Amino acid sequence: MSGNTQDREVLIDIQNLSKTFGDLNVLTDISTTISKGDVVCVIGPSGSGKSTFLRCLNLLEKPTAGHIFVEGADITDPKADIDQLRRKMGMVFQQFNLFPHMTILENMTLAPIKLLKKNKEEADREAMELLERVGLREKADAYPAQLSGGQKQRVAIVRALAMHPDVMLFDEPTSALDPEMVGEVLNVMRQLAKEHMTMVVVTHEMGFAREVATRVMFMEGGNFVEENEPKEFFENPKNERLKAFLSKVL
Amino acid sequence: MEGLKQALYLNLIKDDRWQYLTEGLKNTLLITLFATLIGIAVGLLIAIVRSTHDKTGKLKFLNAICKLYLTVIRGTPALIQLMIFYYCIFVSRVFSGVFVGIIAFGLNSAAYVAEIFRSGIMSIDEGQMEAGRSLGFNYVQTMRYIIMPQAFKNVLPALCNEFVVLLKETSVAGYVAVQDLTKGGDIIRSRTYDAWTPLLIVAAIYLALTMIFSHFAQNVERSLRKNER
Repeated sequence: MSGNTQDREVLIDIQNLSKTFGDLNVLTDISTTISKGDVVCVIGPSGSGKSTFLRCLNLLEKPTAGHIFVEGADITDPKADIDQLRRKMGMVFQQFNLFPHMTILENMTLAPIKLLKKNKEEADREAMELLERVGLREKADAYPAQLSGGQKQRVAIVRALAMHPDVMLFDEPTSALDPEMVGEVLNVMRQLAKEHMTMVVVTHEMGFAREVATRVMFMEGGNFVEENEPKEFFENPKNERLKAFLSKVL
Repeated sequence: MEGLKQALYLNLIKDDRWQYLTEGLKNTLLITLFATLIGIAVGLLIAIVRSTHDKTGKLKFLNAICKLYLTVIRGTPALIQLMIFYYCIFVSRVFSGVFVGIIAFGLNSAAYVAEIFRSGIMSIDEGQMEAGRSLGFNYVQTMRYIIMPQAFKNVLPALCNEFVVLLKETSVAGYVAVQDLTKGGDIIRSRTYDAWTPLLIVAAIYLALTMIFSHFAQNVERSLRKNER
């Protein structure tokens, strides 16, 4: 295994992470690190545990064993303040999960106002700037149901960004989108990567992984069986199962 | 025509008998209104305990108590509950029948409202809870800002229906010496020996109340849904 992360600050340190659902071993003894500025793309067949891995990072799934350190603090410690920690980790879901009873602006300002105690004017102003960046300024007063899938996902991304997270987790952000809307969401993510946001992206978009990732990881059967920088990963895969996987999806 | 006039005079005007109906209507509305408030408050608490248990597995003991409560209340007639409250629990007649009626119907309604709220909470997609938690809201905050407002909207029709059911159900309050609308009509019947007129008038008043309320509820529901689809 190789990676070029030694010289940068480690943001997330995963040690011997395992997760079982009943008798089913979903993740088995995963150890890896994610450093500041990394754009890690996690790929692999469905059912391999990619999403579970991602959801363990902000404890939406509780790990069965192992430790996860975020900025040095062990979040698997029962005494850890999970709510505080999650503010620093933005998450974007496959199904967007916007709040349907709120306008776009309210979706974005709810957490900053209630949790970061920002006043409404400041939160509104920041939200409008973020919406401007993703080209949705005129949708501020619309409701989620009035937006297309691609627009919803762009809102979901900036809603997470409004909390000024240190890392963004993406759980198959384009899998629920019509093909013509995938590009607009990937563009926003590409822009984020350019601004050196630390990102962990579970995706099936091989083109995106190849172009944007600093590191691509292949998960199979509950563990990472190969990881590399994207050029080497896609052009010179070593693991047999990765070769078979790539031959099917590329 | 002359007969109708005569009947209305006999049943309403003579000896100011209309006052039985207005007094009865006042008590019926009092009981319904305050019982609804108790039902919503207690029902909401039960629903939160039950759905928190369903979602997280916590609150086992409270959940068991709530389940027992629902089973008993929903498994016995409201009239029996009312009589138990009046003749067994609030034995001292310091408590008026109206007060006992409010408590009994309120606690009865709570059991039904609880299940309405719970179904509303459980109908909200799990992704909403995850989105709230991933932003850093704790469980209670997520319930309050994200889940409950949506759940409330979803159950509003069922809640309004429960209010209408409750309004009609209070018509047994006469059993414990409450002079409600039904009892008022019945008193007139016993004075005039005319059953048709007072009972039809009472029925018409109930019908008018439920129709007015249903109309009002529909308007509220429509304005709540306006922006969503």
